[in-house]
Amino acid sequence: MSQRTLQPRRLLLYALMLFVLLLYLSPYAYLLLTSLKPPADAIAIPPRIIPETFSLDSYIGLSQNPGVSRAFLNSAVIGVLSTVLALLLAVPAAWAVVRNGSRPGRIFLLVALITRMVPYIAIAIPLFALMRNFHLIDSWFAVSLAHTTISLPLAIWLLAGFLEAIPPELEDAARVDGCSRLSALIRVIIPVTTGGILVTAIFCFLASWNEFLYALLLTSVKAKTAPIVIAEFKTQYGLDWGPMTAIGTLYSLPVILFSLFMQRRIVAGMTMGAVKG
Amino acid sequence: MSRAERNFTLLLMAPAALFLLVFVAYPLLTLLRDSLYDVALMTPHQRVFIGLENFQRALTSSRVIDTAERTLRYTLIALTVEFTLGFLMALLFNHLGRRSELMRTLFLFPLMIPPIVAGLLWRFLLIDNFGIVNHILHFLGLLSAPSDIAWLGDRDIALYSVTLPDIWLTTSFVTLVLYTGLQNIPRELNEAARIDGASALQLFRHITLPLLRPVIAVVVIIRGIDAARAFDIIWVQTEGGPRFASEVLSMHIYRNMIRYGDVGFASAIATLFLLALLVLSLLAFFSIWRPVQGRRDS
Repeated sequence: MSQRTLQPRRLLLYALMLFVLLLYLSPYAYLLLTSLKPPADAIAIPPRIIPETFSLDSYIGLSQNPGVSRAFLNSAVIGVLSTVLALLLAVPAAWAVVRNGSRPGRIFLLVALITRMVPYIAIAIPLFALMRNFHLIDSWFAVSLAHTTISLPLAIWLLAGFLEAIPPELEDAARVDGCSRLSALIRVIIPVTTGGILVTAIFCFLASWNEFLYALLLTSVKAKTAPIVIAEFKTQYGLDWGPMTAIGTLYSLPVILFSLFMQRRIVAGMTMGAVKG
Repeated sequence: MSRAERNFTLLLMAPAALFLLVFVAYPLLTLLRDSLYDVALMTPHQRVFIGLENFQRALTSSRVIDTAERTLRYTLIALTVEFTLGFLMALLFNHLGRRSELMRTLFLFPLMIPPIVAGLLWRFLLIDNFGIVNHILHFLGLLSAPSDIAWLGDRDIALYSVTLPDIWLTTSFVTLVLYTGLQNIPRELNEAARIDGASALQLFRHITLPLLRPVIAVVVIIRGIDAARAFDIIWVQTEGGPRFASEVLSMHIYRNMIRYGDVGFASAIATLFLLALLVLSLLAFFSIWRPVQGRRDS
């Protein structure tokens, strides 16, 4: 570790990589910039990268569309509902899996893993029939339940990783102090795992927020989520790229900013399952 | 473990297990059952048992076979490019070490972009008359007119074009996971080998690659599955067009169910898809992961 200073070759490599990175990120920057053009300029020939005039017209147009705000509300509510449900189910299950590394626990983890290999469409078709039988089509509840089938296995895996890091002595100590097994989980284990639970919650929410196929099948009017509205936008309004880039930005930017803010924790969660090996 | 302890453990797992039973296992059983029936979307109670007829139809339908082939091609293209680029970036980041922190942060950015937005964005970039990609290629002198390449409109290249947002989005993920894997390789191992006179290439082949194998297996399987079941990212670009040139299995199954209302046939194709994906994932798992473990044991 003697070469503290940057050698020319390293500097060149560094510059090259920075260039590749900028190129890699430029499509998203272009989305942002286009959404800030007057809608007519968004489809001008030839296209300009930097807007000639900045305008919020595309966003104002969106705000006057009741379908758009409704879809964002639906996405947010469904995201929260399915996240809460997934965590309620996954925290005890993951604790059980970690606490005794024995057979039922391992089988459970395996089932969660296999669930990840199932194509969504294979569950979506029968799920549609199931929800229809219970008259739940086009409701928050139906989509939330469907999304939980994705987030629950994910949550169990992630939480198992986080809970594994807790020394078993902690539970033993709580038990000696007179806690029951359940209250040891609620009063001692969960409080020390809040960081991990938070990361898991973010992943569950993102899984729901980004999900498309279940929402497409299980909603028709009232409960339509944002991705469905985005996908339908083009057929409805033809080549109205100004508002389309604006809705794309509105839908993705909050998530991106939040993730950057939480980046360290998210990276830990994302690599944990894969790298433990 | 005492009996009470065991019961408590099972009790904790019960709610999640029940949920998976009702909303994953039961639907899958329904799928299997429906695949043996002639059943329509609008009249689910008028079902006629037809045995394996749906499967026979699926396996002899040229449309299904074409779609399956396209799904495989899409998956292989996306996976190969993502993996190659992602691995290269991971090696570079690893080479730069700590100094790459800012760049790694930037590089992770696309990871958080929803697939539907990525699809939408690339559709916008690739439009033939006012899309920025063609205009840049024209500006660089690679195209004589900005409308020369119809990325999403030309049947011969549409399937390749629709992989672009997938590659753009998930190269970050590959890099992130492989980079973490590389960081976990003990430094001393590399240094010891270097002292013994190993070249960079030998180091890579005999230390990095074998130790990274489990991580590679996970990346390839996760990304392979996700690419194989891709739906939204392609849907928002082409809806499977032009004339089915970018239609993949998930989409074809969806169409059979919603547009043609043929639940039995859709279920049969979905069952075949499910089995294929399971078999391929397990094959990938055992061929990439297992061998190294065997060697370690001996």
